[in-house]
Amino acid sequence: MLAELGLAALTLSFFASLYAVLASVYGEVRSSNAWVLSGRNAALATFPLILVSTGALLIALIVEDYQIAYVWSVSNPTTPLFYRITALWGSQKGSLLFWNCLMSLFAFGAILFNWKSDRRLMPYTIAFMMGSTAFFIGLSLFIENPFARYWIDTSTGEAFEALLIPASAAAPSATRLAETAQGLNPLLRHFGMIIHPPMLYLGFVGFVVPYAFAMAALASGDLSTNWIKATRRWSLVSWLFLSLGLILGGRWAYDVLGWGGYWGWDPVENAAFLPWLVGTAFIHSVMIQQKRGMLKVWNMVLVLTTFSAVIFGTFATRSGVIESVHSFARSSIGFPMLLFWAGSTGIGAILLVWRWRRGELQDEHQFASVFSRESLFVLNNVIFMALTIAVFWGSFGAPITSELFLGTEITLGSEYFMRVTPPLFAALYILMGIAPLSAWTATSVNRMSKSLIIPVILTGISVALISFFLHVSAWSIFAYSIVLLAGWVAIYETYRGASARVRGRGENWFKATTKLFSRNQRRYGGYIVHLGVTIIGIGVIGSTMFQYETRRTINLGETITVQDYRLSYDDLEAGITEDGRQIIRTSLTLYGDNGVLHTLTPRQDRYTSPQMNMMIAGAHSTIGRDFYMLVSEVRPEEGVATFVIYINPLVNLVWWGGIILIIGTVIAVYPKEVVPAHVRQASRVAPSERVGATS
Amino acid sequence: MAELTWEKTPETPKNDLKQKRSQGERLKFLVGGLLILGAVAYLIFSSTVSGARYFVMVDDIVGNTEFVDQNIRLTGAVIGDTIDYDAPTGSLSFTVANIPQEYDDLAEILHFAANDADATRLEVVMDNETMPDLLQHEAQAILTGRMGDDGKFYATQLNLKCPTRFEEHTPGMLDSEMG
Repeated sequence: MLAELGLAALTLSFFASLYAVLASVYGEVRSSNAWVLSGRNAALATFPLILVSTGALLIALIVEDYQIAYVWSVSNPTTPLFYRITALWGSQKGSLLFWNCLMSLFAFGAILFNWKSDRRLMPYTIAFMMGSTAFFIGLSLFIENPFARYWIDTSTGEAFEALLIPASAAAPSATRLAETAQGLNPLLRHFGMIIHPPMLYLGFVGFVVPYAFAMAALASGDLSTNWIKATRRWSLVSWLFLSLGLILGGRWAYDVLGWGGYWGWDPVENAAFLPWLVGTAFIHSVMIQQKRGMLKVWNMVLVLTTFSAVIFGTFATRSGVIESVHSFARSSIGFPMLLFWAGSTGIGAILLVWRWRRGELQDEHQFASVFSRESLFVLNNVIFMALTIAVFWGSFGAPITSELFLGTEITLGSEYFMRVTPPLFAALYILMGIAPLSAWTATSVNRMSKSLIIPVILTGISVALISFFLHVSAWSIFAYSIVLLAGWVAIYETYRGASARVRGRGENWFKATTKLFSRNQRRYGGYIVHLGVTIIGIGVIGSTMFQYETRRTINLGETITVQDYRLSYDDLEAGITEDGRQIIRTSLTLYGDNGVLHTLTPRQDRYTSPQMNMMIAGAHSTIGRDFYMLVSEVRPEEGVATFVIYINPLVNLVWWGGIILIIGTVIAVYPKEVVPAHVRQASRVAPSERVGATS
Repeated sequence: MAELTWEKTPETPKNDLKQKRSQGERLKFLVGGLLILGAVAYLIFSSTVSGARYFVMVDDIVGNTEFVDQNIRLTGAVIGDTIDYDAPTGSLSFTVANIPQEYDDLAEILHFAANDADATRLEVVMDNETMPDLLQHEAQAILTGRMGDDGKFYATQLNLKCPTRFEEHTPGMLDSEMG
């Protein structure tokens, strides 16, 4: 019943989305409001239909309907309810359906929120959004269908998968299905992995909205800033989720993968990082178009490249074509995805070139000075794009090019990324420190130098403090300085803004600061984001340049010294949990100069279904550093265990900086004021209604 | 009636100055842009040269002296019986079997390679390594390191593909037992 319901809703959603594309385009071309409305309604119907389909699979997971092959492959009777729910995105088929649900949710939201305000752009926007949605629903429906069920061929006794009830087949025994069910991959049983995929999916699919509005602007000829105004929040929301997804992915790797790090420059990680880089360039660059009417072509290129990177990243992640530590089976969705990537990018490029050749994307102003805010923003964009190209080249470009032209595959490892990216990140941090102090059109060097005095002094004091408390090198002092300068500039600019209000309006500091943020959310939210990125930068420098690693074999009851810590191995326990895991847990006491700091319990979890061992780290975390240890081997009969110990300076700042970055983005995105619907309606009349479009 | 003649107003020195300044700014943008592009291109090129590694299969390097001491990235199927790990020193060794470059089903090809006595095999040696959770029979190893002249591969980095992630199980194991 659940499989039939899910399949029927998925099929209907596919046809609804296709119909929405055709009706919207036809209605716009023929200036028929009725067709456009019909297309809109079909587009609106797509989300509820996919929601029903996704709900059916979710219920099947909860009620343990193991006849559905997907449920059988990602859960078993010992799987806790919480993980049954998260198993929805635990494997390819379910995650693709969930992806469809989120993409149609974004499309649904964009239609609801922007229908009245951006009526002229909506028909083509719907066409592009629903075209993308239809493609992904098609993948779920025709290639990776999660509603296939197991059946037994009554003549041969063999089990097989089929979507519909086959002739001469019987349902397998429910008991036997439950006994053989696989269970969720142990690597996915972690908080970071539970919310990392949904956040990343939201970030990825969200960019369909800016892409669709930009393409609609090109297709309809409304090349004003309307598409940018319509998509500003959608872009920021998508960027927020993408950032959150990347941070949580890093946290998951740090906690679960047991190598003491959080970013490995793996191709699949990089595939998710590429849209973030281009998307960040885009959300900076659109400000110049809004303020000065410049960079119209460039912004189109960026929004198109962001979506293209999203689709390429999805292709790289899901097709299994790219050799990566992430395990993704080779899937037949690879070729269709490649076609869709080429198609969606190609259509955008053709539209852009067409409008550009007609001279419709002329900038309203020219760059007046090299030393102006818009020039520094362009430089910021150039560096972001250079990073994008460098990361793309290292992850995909070099292997593909060498294979094509040299007949042998050449790959670039983490050494390449560790060499090519630091100078570019350094350039970005320097720009983050300078650009907020510059003015539009032109800035005098004197004025900027004066504005820099206090942040530079504060940076000097901060670096001196870091050098006093932590181990540093010449390079790290340089790195800390440019990163900290960006943060101090953000704080100083906020202080200057609030102080002007205190002086000018007689407000108290709290009121002045809150007013400052509420009146100019994008600017001051952006400064909070800069502060978050600064804190992440400090964490990355500390944990990358000064990580300490050692391997120690310790007898039960023995105490050892590791740097300025003492560690005693106190206890060893073994047992079996309710979900069938065999656990070997060690217990150690960590001492500092002033006595006991923490009891650490690194352990090994041995899963039986599927068979897999996992090392769960024990950690003592402070802002200054993480004492992080794994139990590598335990020999209970000898009372000996071998531990791998990492001391990661400042690593927690990566996560705290991530939280601050998210807070800043939320401030920038938060709606300024809610204008009642009837007021908005009265002040806006759709262009097609003004000219009396026929229905 | 006085005759009126219309002439194009000659550019004032002020306009001239403005135009010259604008040209100067444009030149600055051009030179600056070219310098940045050059620097980025050099950075990518030099990093590529120093970080490049051949991606090869076990078949390609076993018995091939061309690859001795070269930076290499290779992949193969882990043979579980050969895994030997000494926790106190972190010394790890195991053997990988060749897998073909092109395949349809990764799980199937790993199973075949790891159990095929005729498949080309290569011993891998690593130092100061934590025993990876996923190092097991029929796992796919992606290794980075150098080929030694003793015929062993000295790896500095080991990545293993999670065998179950995104892989669909066949219902074969359910055959006839479920009827």
